[in-house]
Amino acid sequence: MAVDHLFAAGVNFGSLPAQVVNGILIGSLYALIALGYTMVYGVLRLINFAHGEVYMLGAYTALFVSWLIYGNQVAPVHTFWWALPTMLLASMTVSALVGVILERFAYRPLRNEPRIASLITAIGLSLLLQFGGQLFLPVAPPPNINAKVNPYSDSMTFYLKPPAKPLADKASSLEAEATATEKAYNEALSGVPSGEEPGPTVTALRNNYFEARNAYEEAKGAAANSGVSVTIPKGQLIMFVVTMFLMAILRHLVMFTKQGRAMRAVSHDFDSASLMGINVNSTVTFTFILGSALAGAGAMMSATFISGVKIDTFYGLLPGVKAFVAAVLGGIGNIPGAVLGGLLMGVAESLVIWVGWGDYKDAVAFLILIGVLMFRPGGLLGSAKVEKV
Amino acid sequence: MNYKYSMFWTAALGGAMALSMVGCKSDAEKAATSDNSSTSTNASSSGSGGKRPTPTGKGNSQSGDTIKLGVVASVTGDLKPWGDDSYYGAKLAIDEFNTAGGLNGKKIELLMEDSASKPEAAKTAGEKLMGEGVLGVLGEVSSGNTEQIARPAFDKGIPVIAIGATKTTLTDIGANVWRVCYTDDFQGPVMARFAYEDQGIRKAAIITDKKQPYSQGLSESFKQYFLKLGGEIVSEVSYQTGDTQFQAQLTELKSTNPQGIFMSGYFPEVGPLAAQARAAGITAKFFGGDGWDSSAILQSGGDAIIGSYFCNHYNNKEARPEVKMFLDKFKAKYGKEPSTTMAALGYDAALVAIDALKRCKTLDSASLIQEIENVDKLQGVSGEITLKGHNGNPPKRALVVEIRPASEGFQVFKKAYDYFESK
Amino acid sequence: MSFWIRRLASIALAVGGCFLIDWFAKENLKDFIVRLVVLAALYITLAVSLNLINGITGQFSIGHAAFYQVGAYAAGLATVTFYKSQPLGLALWIPLMMLVGGVTASVAGLVVGLPSLRLRGDYLAIVTLGFGEIIRIVTQNLKVVGAASGMAVEPKMSTPMIWLAWLLAITSIAVCRNLLQTAHGLGFLAVREDEIASSAMGVNVTRTKVAAFVLGSAFAGMAGGFLAHYEGFLIPTMFTMDVSFIILTMVVLGGSGSVTGSVIAAILLSTLPEFLRDIQQISMAGLVAAAISIIAGVVAVRYVSQHVHTPSTRRIAYPGAIIGSIILTVVLSKVLAFIPTLANASTDGSRIRLVIFAVTLVVLMLVRPQGLLGHREFGWGSLRRSEA
Repeated sequence: MAVDHLFAAGVNFGSLPAQVVNGILIGSLYALIALGYTMVYGVLRLINFAHGEVYMLGAYTALFVSWLIYGNQVAPVHTFWWALPTMLLASMTVSALVGVILERFAYRPLRNEPRIASLITAIGLSLLLQFGGQLFLPVAPPPNINAKVNPYSDSMTFYLKPPAKPLADKASSLEAEATATEKAYNEALSGVPSGEEPGPTVTALRNNYFEARNAYEEAKGAAANSGVSVTIPKGQLIMFVVTMFLMAILRHLVMFTKQGRAMRAVSHDFDSASLMGINVNSTVTFTFILGSALAGAGAMMSATFISGVKIDTFYGLLPGVKAFVAAVLGGIGNIPGAVLGGLLMGVAESLVIWVGWGDYKDAVAFLILIGVLMFRPGGLLGSAKVEKV
Repeated sequence: MNYKYSMFWTAALGGAMALSMVGCKSDAEKAATSDNSSTSTNASSSGSGGKRPTPTGKGNSQSGDTIKLGVVASVTGDLKPWGDDSYYGAKLAIDEFNTAGGLNGKKIELLMEDSASKPEAAKTAGEKLMGEGVLGVLGEVSSGNTEQIARPAFDKGIPVIAIGATKTTLTDIGANVWRVCYTDDFQGPVMARFAYEDQGIRKAAIITDKKQPYSQGLSESFKQYFLKLGGEIVSEVSYQTGDTQFQAQLTELKSTNPQGIFMSGYFPEVGPLAAQARAAGITAKFFGGDGWDSSAILQSGGDAIIGSYFCNHYNNKEARPEVKMFLDKFKAKYGKEPSTTMAALGYDAALVAIDALKRCKTLDSASLIQEIENVDKLQGVSGEITLKGHNGNPPKRALVVEIRPASEGFQVFKKAYDYFESK
Repeated sequence: MSFWIRRLASIALAVGGCFLIDWFAKENLKDFIVRLVVLAALYITLAVSLNLINGITGQFSIGHAAFYQVGAYAAGLATVTFYKSQPLGLALWIPLMMLVGGVTASVAGLVVGLPSLRLRGDYLAIVTLGFGEIIRIVTQNLKVVGAASGMAVEPKMSTPMIWLAWLLAITSIAVCRNLLQTAHGLGFLAVREDEIASSAMGVNVTRTKVAAFVLGSAFAGMAGGFLAHYEGFLIPTMFTMDVSFIILTMVVLGGSGSVTGSVIAAILLSTLPEFLRDIQQISMAGLVAAAISIIAGVVAVRYVSQHVHTPSTRRIAYPGAIIGSIILTVVLSKVLAFIPTLANASTDGSRIRLVIFAVTLVVLMLVRPQGLLGHREFGWGSLRRSEA
């Protein structure tokens, strides 16, 4: 076997590059959601616990729009090139709207109360949307965006190191036999009347086929393992590209527009910013629009491109918590920190699976967080400011 | 007030607490506890041979014109499709019995309580029914819910006939618990045999949902039997209910080249799992347990799940006369075919109760418990049911079905396995 | 002398009261109500102990279920392992196991309390939340405690020891209440109000914070120890984040820092939803009407509290809004029933439970951020106005 098993647990270095790529793909989604947490925290010093539910509503929006476009029967997707962009825009719009509503009617009235009041309101809103949503949204059996809505369900394989030639040759030589025996078996089987047990000839042919198939699969696997490859589902790649594109737009908005500058000012010092004539309310609204729209985009993409995942009112719970951890890890309130934290979380998760501790995947995420906070209480890129007394 | 002494209140209270406990200890209670502690020794033994603890309570008895039976069903929540069917099935059997004259003129009254698909709510629902004086309780469709009904029922001495609870150790709770379905200890081996013998799989991988006891138990029983047959388990990976991305697990799994993959979780995760496995270039066959039994898996799994196999209790297309009769009656009453297997199992659970009631000399829970244990070779819709001497786990048959597109009927009967010893 | 007599009398009263509840419940109440009586006691313990950490010391912990779980599993495991090889009867063994649960949980509290020395507010919140998840995932994978299938705790109590649960609840209340009358206890409050100022006044901030965590988690652990032997079965899903949030709701609803408030809220929130389960179906018209009325009530109260300064109007704002909302709900649900889509649609009553929690939290924060009782306490002193 060409794979090097160095650790007792069987760590497979051949799959390390693939796992890092997997981690980055997963992490980019966390980063996208984490941005919403971190921007809101930046301007309001509020952990918007309901952000995961904004994400969930984005996924539902994508679901409803896909039902509107395709009905119940699934048409060939290519006839509707505009379907996916429409779903994306709809999800972003609805999520942004929800974010703004939450801010205007739940957080703004509490802005001058102790911070714990807004925090508890956020937890309450999160529970309200999770459980109240069950009353109005379709949940059982859990719906999902039809797998056929996603035209990019296949994947691409890149070889960092091509498979060993002799092994690959052996595999292709066995393929012919596997196909031939399968054909022979199926022909024999079609001769057997339904409901009857096949006779010994058919059974022999079947065993031949199984042997040839298993030998071929074995050789094919050995050949694949002799190389180092990375397999990327096309949908996930698109997700990654869109995510990076959205982050670039966000960076432009935050760094080079007037609203973005106002946002940074408010984030730096809320009171002084308002004294300097910045419209704090519109800036906060702007922040919620940005963060929630990003969450909506992430939700639409994850619900569509990760084919067939169930959508229920807890859809945002796990990604929400993980993104929150990512935001804290990177230093909450810090935009590059959220991206770094998200990517780190994703890579850490897939590496935990890589070393064979997959059972503890979610615990490790929190363990890393607690470890980082022990040594850097402000997160990786954040500054540990002592709160004002 | 003197602050120095105020902590005293607390300390003294603690002391009084300890004292009062000593005062409470009595010989009777000690005897009861030593009785209970013996249960833990045989809790591990399942199947024939072990002796189950006898329920302690006296149970309910009835003297009126009706015989009250209870059913706990998940008619709301995640398990709704299965819970609805289980209730419809049980109701069908009871109504049929009543129309045919009942038990010497006495009708059976079936009281239903909703468990909302949650264990805690199942417990409250069960206790409510028992408080209303039912002789026995039918239900639930999931093991976690049934467990919460069976434990208080044990204390009260009331029989419970589980409908779709497959967890192997469930019936160890006491001699008041039976089921009409097979156990995970059986469906795992059935799929192992099917994969090994019928599909020629020699190297298998297992994917487990770590959050689900059902999935953990099923994976374990599949693994043991597959190894016993001479196969090899090349990879075991896990995920948690609610996860959506499995690339990392599948990457590890793929490098071990399995020929078949056993996915012991429930359908909402299995669909995307199968789709992502195909996308990652895994060509192995997929196998699963009765947690796949929902046509929703076709939606979430897309083309990837077509041609996979799973284990089920019963199939509408079977040629046995009981099946045809049941389907005709079900359609006549509810105007549609049952959508899950739980209708047949609910019907069978009610049949078991009726069969036992017919033989009861007195109408109370204790004699019902005795007579349920005596159910022998009862022809149910899902197969023959014998409860006598099997510690609550009837040796049931199991079917392997293939997943086909909805146009071909979703589940296509593939092979039936009669009960075999899997230990 | 009168001091001692009063103390002993209170203790006798408390213990006697517990047995009275026990006797009364077993004689008169149906089984599922007995269950509520027990659960109420456990939730009182949990809420009061979280109140000590959150409300009184001001450390924002949102993972209290973790300590509950640690206590339950420690006690359960000890019973499964050791019960058969020791001479004690169950009536003595269970309280002992509650102590084991309490001690184990307080060690866990120490572990979580230590980071609180460096972390504040939101960061501490996420650490406690993370700790809860870590505990849940670890138990879910540990074979020795039955992993995800759960662990049967044998032997469990043969009849519910209601008196024990209530004794625990009353002890936790007494500890918190009396603690607040000591100098140390005032130190807890001082840390909540201002860490730097309190440390300048000679309060050992570090020790106070850790003490709050240790004490709070010890009581949660004891409640867990009771739960293990009451249910006779433990499974990781009994201790999810929801449970933490529900306990938090109780603390906030009662008023952060008010022990009395926590007790009232715990009794209310642990029993009310169970009584609501008899509602099998709720019509959508009623639901929408209730939602609109609640929003209207919130808006009205907020308007009055911000813009109206007539004392008489302000005084009737809360009762007025509550009564008004109820009337509006009734009227609106009749009116909305004319819309066919709303009149015919209905939803399961069981789903409403956590929605009520959530609505309570949000509405309360919007109209009365300090909770029902604020910082106020109930006491005989406040009735007689003679003691400070």
